[in-house]
Amino acid sequence: MIEVESLTKHRAGLPVLDAVSLRGVDGGVTVLVGPSGGGKSTLLRCLNGLETFEGGGITIAGHRLAVGPHSDVGLHELRRDVGMVFQQFNLFPHLSVLDNVMLAPRAVLKVPAEEARSRALDLLNRVGLGSFAAARPATLSGGQQQRVAIARALAMRPRVMLFDEPTSALDPSMTSEVLDVIMDLAKAGQTMVVVTHDHGFAKRAATLVVELVAGRVARQGRAEEIL
Amino acid sequence: MRHVIPRGVAVVAGGLIAVGVTLAADLDEVRRRGELVWAADQEGGGPHVFPDPADPRRITGFEVELADLVAGELGVKARFQQGQWDRLPLLLDQSADCVINGIELTPERRRDYGCSRPYFGYALQLLGRRGSPPATFADLTAAGPSGLWRVGVLTGSAAETELRSRAASGELHVEVIGYDGTLDSLEQVQSGVLDAAVMDDCIFTFYADRFAGLRTIDRPFAGGLYTVLTSKATPALVAAIDVALGRLIANGRLKSLYDRWDLAGRQQMLMLRDAAEIPPARRRSLGELVRQSVPLLLSSAGMTVLLSCAAFPLAIAVGLAVAIGRLHGPTWLRPLLTGYVEVLRGTPLMLQLYAIFFLLPKIGLALPALVAAILGLALNYSAYESEIYRAGLKAVPLGQFEAALSLGLTKWQALRHVLVPQAVRIVMPPVTSDFIALFKDTSVCSAITVIELTKRYSVLALSTGRIVELALVTAVLYLAMSWPLSLLSRWFEARLERTAGPTQ
Ligand SMILES: Nc1ncnc2c1ncn2[C@@H]1O[C@H](COP(=O)(O)OP(=O)(O)O)[C@@H](O)[C@H]1O
Ligand SMILES: [Mg+2]
Repeated sequence: MIEVESLTKHRAGLPVLDAVSLRGVDGGVTVLVGPSGGGKSTLLRCLNGLETFEGGGITIAGHRLAVGPHSDVGLHELRRDVGMVFQQFNLFPHLSVLDNVMLAPRAVLKVPAEEARSRALDLLNRVGLGSFAAARPATLSGGQQQRVAIARALAMRPRVMLFDEPTSALDPSMTSEVLDVIMDLAKAGQTMVVVTHDHGFAKRAATLVVELVAGRVARQGRAEEIL
Repeated sequence: MRHVIPRGVAVVAGGLIAVGVTLAADLDEVRRRGELVWAADQEGGGPHVFPDPADPRRITGFEVELADLVAGELGVKARFQQGQWDRLPLLLDQSADCVINGIELTPERRRDYGCSRPYFGYALQLLGRRGSPPATFADLTAAGPSGLWRVGVLTGSAAETELRSRAASGELHVEVIGYDGTLDSLEQVQSGVLDAAVMDDCIFTFYADRFAGLRTIDRPFAGGLYTVLTSKATPALVAAIDVALGRLIANGRLKSLYDRWDLAGRQQMLMLRDAAEIPPARRRSLGELVRQSVPLLLSSAGMTVLLSCAAFPLAIAVGLAVAIGRLHGPTWLRPLLTGYVEVLRGTPLMLQLYAIFFLLPKIGLALPALVAAILGLALNYSAYESEIYRAGLKAVPLGQFEAALSLGLTKWQALRHVLVPQAVRIVMPPVTSDFIALFKDTSVCSAITVIELTKRYSVLALSTGRIVELALVTAVLYLAMSWPLSLLSRWFEARLERTAGPTQ
C-alpha cells in the first residue's frame, strides 16, 4: 500500500532525501527513526503531497505521486485516503472539538450532518474524549488535543495514517494516553507510518523499522534488529 | 493603519475656534501693517479670481484688480488669501481682513457681517444642452420629461438660494443639486447628468469656449449685487472700503476695469450707494434655531450613517476577495490586485469620488451621487481592508492550512472553513476602527453633492450665523454616532484577548 522508490528531494540545492526507497507493511506499522534533521518529517510530508520532490516516485493507498508539481485533483483524492497527525496537533481553534472532527467528512465527503455527528462522537468516545465534544481545543491538555487530532484524521476513514512525532510536544506524563490510542489502532490493523524517538513504543508497535540518517536509509528491519 | 484627520471634525473645530476671537484687524492695524489681506477661492474661476493661464503661480481676474485698486485707495498693498468658497466668511475671524469673491449682498450677510456698498451687479442665467429641453425658463414651472428638472448650482451661491426658494414655493419643478466647484454643474449638464445649471452669466460667458455643447436659455431671470465682506468687528475698515469704492466709481477707474474684462454695464447696477439699503435679516432665537436646524442636522446625520453602513460591508467583501486573490489566486492575477491596492491607497479619496462622479459619465456611465459616493468609499476602503485581511490571513499559522489540506479539503475549502474565520477574528479590532475612520471620511462626499452632516453644518452655520451653537450640536451628533463604535471596537479587543489561547 506504501511504496517509495528512490525518492530524492532537495532544499536550497542540498539533498534532504537522497534516493530513499522503502516498502511499508500493509496492515502494519512502519516506524521511522533516526537523528533530528535526518529527513523523517520531509519524507512524511512527501507521502501526502505537502511537498514536491525532484527524483523517484511514491505509490500510496493506490495513488501515484511523481516528480514535479502535483495536480490539485490528484492530491485531493489522495488525502481522503491518507490521514496525517502533526507534532503540533494543529487543531482548528475557532471550532469546537466536535466540529473539528466533523469538518472534513461534512465538507469533503458530504456526509449528512446527523451521520457525521454520530460518527464523530463515536470517534471521540474511542479516544476517551466523548465528554469534551463541546469544548474549545484551547481548554484541553496537550495529550487530549493530540487525541482529538487523531480522531479528526480517522473521521475520513483513511487507508493509511501518518504520525509525525505525535508525542514530542507533550509533557512526558501525557505520552502514554496518546500512544495507547495509536497502539489500539495498530492492533485493529490500521496501516500506519509513525515517526518517533520513543524506542519502547517502537519495539511494541513496529512491524518494520526504518532508520533515516542524513537523507538516506541507513538500516531497516524488524525492531529487535535495529533498536 | 492610517492617521485620519476627519474633515468634519476640522470644520467643527474651526467653528469653535471662532468663539469671540477676532483676529481681523481694524483700519488702523491694516494701515500699520501696510497690507490688506483679502480672501477668495481661485478654484471659483473666471472672470472673478483664477490662476493666470500664462503663469499658474499668479492669480488674475477682475476681483484681483479690484482688490489692488481698493488697497491702493487705503494706501496699502493687497495680499491674497486662498480659501474654500463657501467658507470664505470664516476666514474673517482668522486671517483675512475682507472677502472679495462674488459675495452676494443678502439680508443674512447684512445681519452677520460688515458689508460694503455694492461693486458689481450679477445676473442669474439658466444654461442647458444644445438641442435638449428645457427650451425656455418657463418650462421649469411644469414637470420635465422625467419628473423634476435636475438643475445644478454652486453650493452657497445666490443661484442656490434663489432656486431653492422658488422650488420650495412650488413655482419651479426643480431638484436643486449643489456643487463645490463653479464649473462642476456645467460638466454635469454637458455629460447629461443634469438638465440645466444656473450661475452668474458672466462666468458662463467667460468659459463658453470650453462648453461648446451648452447654451444660454432665455435672458437672466434674476440678479443682485456683490459686496466686499468684512467682519462686524471692523466698522472703520468697511467705512474706508465704502469711501474707496465711491472714489473708484467717481473717477471712472471701476468702469474702465470692467470694460477691460468685457463686463461693461455691470457698474450700472451700482445705483445702490449704501449696503444699509438692504435691511439685515432678523436674528433667529435659539429656540427657533433648534427647531429649524436640528431636524435638518439629524436627517443629514442619517445620510452619514447610510453612507457608512452601505459602503463598509462592501469594502470588507471586496477587501477580503482582494486579499485572498493576492495570497492564493492565480499568479497572473496577483500583480493586478497589488496595483489595485496601491492605486486606491496612493490617491486621495476626494479624487476617486471625482473620477467616479464626473469622469464616468464621459464614457456613458452616469451614476447617481449617492451610488457614486457609496461606491467611492467602498472601493477606497476595500484597499485598506484588503491589507488588513492580508496581514490577518498571514497571521494564521501555516500548520492550520496544512492540517486542513491533509484532511482532504481543497484550497478554497481550507480558506473558507479554516483560514478566513480565524483571520476575521484577528482583524476585528483594526477593522472596527477603520469603520470609525470611514464614518468620518463620509464628509468628503459633499464634494460630489451628497449632503451629509458636515456639509449641512457648514451650510446652516453660514446661513444663520450661529457658527458656534451649531458646531456644538454637530459635534454632539458625531460623538453620539462614533462613541458606540469605539465601545464596540474596545469590546472586540477585550474579547479577543480573553479567548486568545494557544492556537495549536
Ligand atoms: N521548511 C524548511 N526549509 C528549509 N529547510 C528545511 C525545512 N524543513 C526542514 N528542513 C531541512 O531539511 C532537513 C530535514 O529536516 P526534517 O525532515 O524536518 O528532519 P527530521 O524530521 O528527521 O528531524 C534538515 O536539514 C532541515 O534543516
Ligand atoms: Mg521532524
